[in-house]
Amino acid sequence: MDTLVNVAHGFGVALLPVNLLYCFIGVFIGTLVGVLPGIGPISAMSLLLPVTLSGTPESGIIMMAGIYYGSMYGGSTTSILVNIPGEAASVVTCIDGHQMAKQGRAGPALGISAFGSFIAGTFALIALMLVAPKLASVAIAFGPAEYFSLMVLGLVVLTFLTQGSMPKALLMACIGVVLGLIGLDSITAQPRLTFGRMELIDGIGLVPVVMGLFGVAEVLLNTEQAIKRDIINTRITHLLPTREDWTASAGPVGRGTLLGFFLGILPGGGAVVASFASYALEKRLSKTPERFGHGAIEGVAGPESANNAAAGGAFIPLMTLGIPPNVVMALLLGAFVIHGLQPGPLLITQNPGLFWGIVASMYIGNVMLLILNLPLIGMWVQLLKLPYNILFPLIILFTILGVYCSSNNVFDVYVMIAFGIIGYFMRKLGYEPAPLVLAFVLGPMMENNLRKSLILSQGDLWTFVQRPISAVCLAFALVLLIAPLLPSLRKKREMVALDEGA
Amino acid sequence: MTNQTNVKLRLNNSELWGGLIGLALGGFVIWQGLKLKLGTINDPGSGYVLFYTGILMCVFAGAIIVSAITEGGPTLASRWENVRWSKPLLLIACLVAFSVALEPLGFLLSSIPLMLLLLRLIDPVRWTLAIPIAVLVPSGMWWVLKRVLLIQLPSGLFGIG
Repeated sequence: MDTLVNVAHGFGVALLPVNLLYCFIGVFIGTLVGVLPGIGPISAMSLLLPVTLSGTPESGIIMMAGIYYGSMYGGSTTSILVNIPGEAASVVTCIDGHQMAKQGRAGPALGISAFGSFIAGTFALIALMLVAPKLASVAIAFGPAEYFSLMVLGLVVLTFLTQGSMPKALLMACIGVVLGLIGLDSITAQPRLTFGRMELIDGIGLVPVVMGLFGVAEVLLNTEQAIKRDIINTRITHLLPTREDWTASAGPVGRGTLLGFFLGILPGGGAVVASFASYALEKRLSKTPERFGHGAIEGVAGPESANNAAAGGAFIPLMTLGIPPNVVMALLLGAFVIHGLQPGPLLITQNPGLFWGIVASMYIGNVMLLILNLPLIGMWVQLLKLPYNILFPLIILFTILGVYCSSNNVFDVYVMIAFGIIGYFMRKLGYEPAPLVLAFVLGPMMENNLRKSLILSQGDLWTFVQRPISAVCLAFALVLLIAPLLPSLRKKREMVALDEGA
Repeated sequence: MTNQTNVKLRLNNSELWGGLIGLALGGFVIWQGLKLKLGTINDPGSGYVLFYTGILMCVFAGAIIVSAITEGGPTLASRWENVRWSKPLLLIACLVAFSVALEPLGFLLSSIPLMLLLLRLIDPVRWTLAIPIAVLVPSGMWWVLKRVLLIQLPSGLFGIG
């Protein structure tokens, strides 16, 4: 009953005209960046982070959340029609989705991807509503040791799932922690790594770092090769899947939804790994696995449902524990912090309007996305024809303006350009930026919790092992750290490794 | 990118250089941590986490170096094989020039040439399209930010913008 009252309260917030507008802007931009190859939700969210300052916290966060789950919908359009993933979570949709389009079945592929996404997104929201308040009440009992261990686990899972060698990913995470510690020490107020520059006293901003590493570096990489697009030119018809399509897709949608939701909750996981896991699962369960790769609708329905469910599930650790499980959620955490809010166990009780308003807006956003992605599919197809040589200078200009507007400081523009160049060379040498960014956000929180636990336990390191939740997290992290040393596990890791930055 | 070009114990091994840069950074972080004072385990100081993170960085960089020596790795040149390496280089040059010009010239006088350069140098867009985009987009953005959102962009020594 309480939940229903809260949901009604949430709809009251989400249905305010201004919030409806922000929700629409969010899902529209999300679909747009999902459709356009070369810009992902991370770049778009970091670009729009300063815009959230102009409205209420609800409006800003509703818009940011809309960009995230909107990009999950939009990414499939490019994968199916152009065979280029609009964002990383849609990589796997290219395999069967584009084959279906080549066989003249682009309509059903787009249709099942939109309906599957809608079903999964709705399920994830219901689960979020039911799970989050319960988990939040448990999380109140968490101490600094639990928080520290959970963050360590999140970072280790992300480094485990990142492409390339694990030492490289771990090195990136360490560099992220160090960058996060630049500025005044939160306990002693002593300046650290500021080199006498006043601009560094408050630390480096999240926006210039993310925009540089993901936005500018991505553009630099894209200019290396002329992007070739093999757009399906036939008219897209029959968007509503047939009865046979539904029969074939019902199982994959259901399984993808459940799998995606649970993978989304896990720290370090997320939409990308969920879509790959769902594809592998469907192929294994299929009686005719040879159809996969040649236009099997199950290969579109499962992963597309999984990535949307994961996008919803990822809100749980952020909203209940205040720990972002992936880079996108780290940006959302940035949006909360900009408004002076701290997500965590007390958010739901202290700011019920905000929490339930965001949840309700996600329902509304999902309906908006269904409308945007089915009847208006022609508009997105037209957009795919925008040449990249016109698009990328605009992206560069928007990133410069976005960074400048976030702080009204030219220094941040320099930081962004520097991180863009560093990010380009990092990627060329096989170092992924995702662990760096997550560690950059978690670093100061990790340090704070580590020092607090050491002070509270009077220097007793056993405190991390004596507390059950902390011990389980650290044990799991240790297993993941050791795993790549075993050849059989190393092979498995390479199979699931993902590229968060794409 | 051809990652298969394995070269053992060669100085142009890109993995080796990546590891060495990591090692140098780790050493620098350890030094900074020591400078800031470590404190004790009962009361960790400002440099405590930095110091231990630096040690971890050295360990991971060491692992990368060992792997580069024992297993080899792609050469630096192979990382830029079969790609238009000059294009990102040009883009980097444009961005550096823009960052130098931004404060003295202001937003409008630095962003219009930047846009024109990007539109013409990387994958050339025809002049008739490049010039209007390069002029109208930054001017439009400047107008929206300054007049609508009341955000002051850098106006430079000439006070334009």
